[in-house]
Amino acid sequence: MYLRLAFRNIFRNRLRSLITLAAIAFGCISLTIAGGFIEDTFDQMRESYIRSFLGHMQISKVGYFEKGAARPFDYMIDEPEKALGAIRSNPSVASATPRIEFSGLLSTGDTTISLIAQGVNPKWENEISTFVEIDAGENLSEGDAYSIVLGKGLAEALAAKPGDPLILVANTRSGAINALDVEAKGVFHTSSKAFDDRSIRIPIDTAQKLLQTKDIQTIAVLLDDTGKTDLVKGELETAFAHNGLDLEIKPWYEMADFYTKTVDLYRRQFFVLKLIIGIVVVLSVFNTMNMSILERVGEIGTLMALGTKRMGVISLFLLEGLILGVIGGIIGLVGGYLLASLISWVGIPMPPPPGATIYWTAKIKIVPSVLAFNFGLAVIASVVSSCYPALKASRLEIADALRHNI
Amino acid sequence: MEVVKINGACKTFRVDRNEVKALNGIDLSINAGEFLAIVGPSGSGKSTLLNLIGCIERPTSGTILFEGSDVTRLSEDELAEIRSAKLGFIFQTFNLLPVLTVRENVEYPLHLRKTAKDERDKKTLAILKEVGLEAHASHKPSELSGGQRQRVAIARALVGAPSIVLADEPTANLDLKTGEDILKLMKELNRKHRTTFVFSTHDPKIMKLADRIVELRDGEIAGKQCT
Repeated sequence: MYLRLAFRNIFRNRLRSLITLAAIAFGCISLTIAGGFIEDTFDQMRESYIRSFLGHMQISKVGYFEKGAARPFDYMIDEPEKALGAIRSNPSVASATPRIEFSGLLSTGDTTISLIAQGVNPKWENEISTFVEIDAGENLSEGDAYSIVLGKGLAEALAAKPGDPLILVANTRSGAINALDVEAKGVFHTSSKAFDDRSIRIPIDTAQKLLQTKDIQTIAVLLDDTGKTDLVKGELETAFAHNGLDLEIKPWYEMADFYTKTVDLYRRQFFVLKLIIGIVVVLSVFNTMNMSILERVGEIGTLMALGTKRMGVISLFLLEGLILGVIGGIIGLVGGYLLASLISWVGIPMPPPPGATIYWTAKIKIVPSVLAFNFGLAVIASVVSSCYPALKASRLEIADALRHNI
Repeated sequence: MEVVKINGACKTFRVDRNEVKALNGIDLSINAGEFLAIVGPSGSGKSTLLNLIGCIERPTSGTILFEGSDVTRLSEDELAEIRSAKLGFIFQTFNLLPVLTVRENVEYPLHLRKTAKDERDKKTLAILKEVGLEAHASHKPSELSGGQRQRVAIARALVGAPSIVLADEPTANLDLKTGEDILKLMKELNRKHRTTFVFSTHDPKIMKLADRIVELRDGEIAGKQCT
């Protein structure tokens, strides 16, 4: 009976209830759109980092990540084939590629610039670095030797273009200086301007010749699903221990510092947004319930005179808040889903994020947990805001309340 | 047999900083099956007395025995249970719940008592038939005339077979003819079910139907005083 009473009471003043429902639904839709936009931004940013150069994880000799910057040749993987075999036998690994990274100088003859070079296997690297885009010339391919691709910023600084001969100078493993004549095959850009301003990629065989080593430094691994990163990390650590490989694994999120800090910042901002929208919903429902009580004082008196306990009156008004929250939440969910789908279909053109070079198209990601949270927030905010009015109604003196009927 | 026995009941209200005595030393016994009228001019304390009998308000002093039990010290919830189980109310302004249909209004007290659906349906339809409104069962109160609304209120008051029905100026908002019809209906139900009726009025024309008349003046019956 209370449910029936509550439901019908809500629609007594249709305009006011519609405005309240609109406020709840608007809050829910806003959170769905804002939350979906942020989640999509996180996804795109994360994948661009992973698929530009990080991979889902990087594997190296134990100690490389901590001390390898100063003495890289002390932490080389000396059994690359065995390590690659152990990694590739994991069914979640989509691709694994060896890398060797070193600093050096690149010269056109007139201009010389210091750089970071990545020695890569073109075939496997192209499977991982799918977010690397070629601006001019071509990317490295299997069988290439003495060819390099240059980051966009670096190519501009050197005024180098595809086909230009260049000289690459680096220290060998033993500390001697070595130089190679190479040809610029192409110019690339990634999501990171800093990377593009100082990086080249070179076939790993050529890099090993320059550095006079047969070893590799790291293995970049791409998985079939980013969500499996921690699971596969654990599995590979077990496999390495089982195979007697002295290797360590660094997952992408430990290397993507900018990403993790951005996510943290955005999430805090989003929390404030949630709080503001929650307050709007609370105030809106509070106002409706308060008005409703003022109009129904006589009725509340009648209910109590007939024998309804004070807890019954509280239940009635809380139910009204609950129903408002559920209906508003459902409208908000459906509206949010439809609007999110429409916006995603059209796409939002976005400028490059700080430190990046690529324009991108944002979408609104529908995340079931975000939708569930938004719905929960709408319902809880409605019920919470009904508490005080419900309590107020239950505390009315019956005789005083009955006088309002006259 | 006494349904209600009031001993020296006083009721004082505080208005701003002044105390106003609404009832002053009321002694009254109401017997089962009585059709009792409480009369008196406006402000004489009729409604307050009905509120005390109806367990809506507690006396400032004195006691009220309901079927032999003192109800003056009961908790809010215990009083609500007595109102639901043993009392029926008919109000001057009908006080029907506008969002419920006639049938739902009438069966509301049975919901409070957690009566089973079959029994609820049976009792509701039976009482609606008795007040001549079975054809209006699915109507909303706003679709009824004043007299019909008061009949719904009477049905609601009687559906749970209460020990006593309290009616606060039940005919005040009705025209004379409809008012008389309503009183006749109440009288008929009183005779038929032996339900005790206590109603307040200040209309001398409708007092003639009462078995007994208690006259209130300035909150007192027969000049008794509070100690």
